[in-house]
Amino acid sequence: MDDLLRDLSAQEYKDGFVTEVAQEFVPKGLNEDIIRLISAKKGEPEWLLEFRLGAFRKWQKMRPPFWGHLRLPRIDFQDIIYWAAPKRPEDRPNEIDPALMETFDKLGIPLHEREVLAGVKPKGEVAVDAVFDSVSVTTTFRKTLAEKGIIFCSFSEAVREHPDLVRKYLASVVPVGDNYYAALNSAVFSDGSFCYIPKGVKCPMDLSSYFRINASGTGQFERTLIVADEGSSVSYMEGCTAPMRDENQLHAAVVEIIVEKDADVKYSTVQNWYPGDAQGRGGILNLVTKRGICKGTGSHLSWTQVETGSAVTWKYPSTILKGDYSTSEFYSVAMTNHWQQADTGTKMIHLGRGTRSRVVSKGISAGHSENSYRGLVQMGPAAEGARNYSQCDSLLIGSLCGAHTFPVIRSRNPKAIVEHEATTSKISEDQLFYCNQRGIAPEDAVALIVGGYAREVLSRLPMEFAVEAQKLLSVSLEGAVG
Amino acid sequence: MDKRVYVFGRDSVPQYLRLEAGEELMMTLVMLPGTDLRIPLEVDLVGPGASLDLAGVYLCPEAEHVDLRVLVRHTSAGCHSRQLFKGIVGGTADAAFDGLIYVARDAQQTQAYQENHTLLLSETARVESRPQLEIYADDVQCSHGATTGYLNPDELFYLRSRGIPEPEARRLQMIAFLAPVLNRLPEELIEEIHAGLS
Repeated sequence: MDDLLRDLSAQEYKDGFVTEVAQEFVPKGLNEDIIRLISAKKGEPEWLLEFRLGAFRKWQKMRPPFWGHLRLPRIDFQDIIYWAAPKRPEDRPNEIDPALMETFDKLGIPLHEREVLAGVKPKGEVAVDAVFDSVSVTTTFRKTLAEKGIIFCSFSEAVREHPDLVRKYLASVVPVGDNYYAALNSAVFSDGSFCYIPKGVKCPMDLSSYFRINASGTGQFERTLIVADEGSSVSYMEGCTAPMRDENQLHAAVVEIIVEKDADVKYSTVQNWYPGDAQGRGGILNLVTKRGICKGTGSHLSWTQVETGSAVTWKYPSTILKGDYSTSEFYSVAMTNHWQQADTGTKMIHLGRGTRSRVVSKGISAGHSENSYRGLVQMGPAAEGARNYSQCDSLLIGSLCGAHTFPVIRSRNPKAIVEHEATTSKISEDQLFYCNQRGIAPEDAVALIVGGYAREVLSRLPMEFAVEAQKLLSVSLEGAVG
Repeated sequence: MDKRVYVFGRDSVPQYLRLEAGEELMMTLVMLPGTDLRIPLEVDLVGPGASLDLAGVYLCPEAEHVDLRVLVRHTSAGCHSRQLFKGIVGGTADAAFDGLIYVARDAQQTQAYQENHTLLLSETARVESRPQLEIYADDVQCSHGATTGYLNPDELFYLRSRGIPEPEARRLQMIAFLAPVLNRLPEELIEEIHAGLS
């Protein structure tokens, strides 16, 4: 492990390469014609175009949120390309561009089902939906999943093949006018993943989406919709990377999760967008709305996130606990270095009786970065016997960074209990000395201590992800000590 | 050490305090039932070694609106601050606590703690708690904790099983809950608060 850490700390952002793929773009800028064009390119039905236009009209009347503890560069929404897709030669539509294949290979994403089937890859299969700029390029294992009645495909396909499901659930958790960036996403969203687990089905493998921003001057606006019907269960993973560029690129996604009675959804993210360079130039602006609803009795939704990337993170995966006795958890590690800024946390909205939630957030700030936890725990009048426990710890590495905690607790119920605690501290000299004394170099010692600090969250991640996250943490820490 | 007790509505309560090097202040704020308040309080710890021990109790059994905003700002190294706020909210009252600990870049070796606990007694009451930390120095120990809850039914049962009537038992529970703050007050004020709990 030590060697691994050392190798990794020698490199900077390893996913920063650019892939040369023939791509098609729509013109820069945003207006109703662009939206019609995107919709036409995707061959969308009329109702979806209306949905987009409605969202766009709302968005024009809205203002960007200003309450984050963030210094956001001014975003010129007319200077962004809202649609970029790898060109698929008409004559061989079934093959993936080799350059694209290479990209996903570099990222370590197994797109070849053959490998798994041939036994090259061990068990513990993962079905992958890969999204490259604006379109989903491939989804694996569809047949295996289809046998169980599970739908896992790109969003565009879902619109074509399962319009009733999409129409029923789209924007049911994150309404179009929910916030500025969600409205923008609703107007211009390009692709994303759709997942439906039918009644009583336990998904036999982990489902995974990989998002990659490649083209310059573009934004990525994907939309994910996960529906777990009664008694079903699924574990869903999301990963993301982008090339190194001097410009800020916008990523405004919306994720909606619907958890019906007794269903169980586990949603894990390892976010590794390009964070900008050591001087704070470039990097992704990650302005994301993620929300799930525990609709039915006894449903369960668990969020796990590891945030190491993006120049600015504005993200609050939330759960509405509507069903009685539903439960939700939020586990997060947010690591910022150099000039990164993160304002992230969660919202737990308890509506049903006996609902329970648990929040564990670990922030690590180094360099000149700013790392904030922002959370809301709300107990509604009917949330009798509801309970929440939140714990937010911050670790400071270096004297130029900031760590902040902004929780809000609201209770309207005399039968509900909310507990919140937060601490802020640094890696103690004693711990460092102890490691040094045993021959562990300062940088390794910090990686070790941070690994231990974040373990509670990392241990919640699916296996492959946990290893990746551990590596990422140590890479992000590079240059933070000494 | 400078010890001060303020009762809102009776005493004139400062809104801004500044603690110089080595100054120590122990301050207790009391909000009795029937007080509608919106209190901003700012304390700056500007000299090394300054120390603040701040506590407060708010009692809102009827239709009070209480909005407490406390800002403790550490701008110098080696200062300590401790805050403890306890509230009981019933009836149709509405109580909010907003407490921010701010630690400036040079305020190393800061120790700052903040606690806010609230009991919610009725279905029509509302509480909100916003304990916040904004920290720009690394060699610090800061923490905060906040809870909202209700009178524990097991404790109530214990007391009743020993022959204590329910109203009296509930009163004892509330007294116990407030005790850490009430202990800092003069005897007659404690009596007055005890008498007011029912």
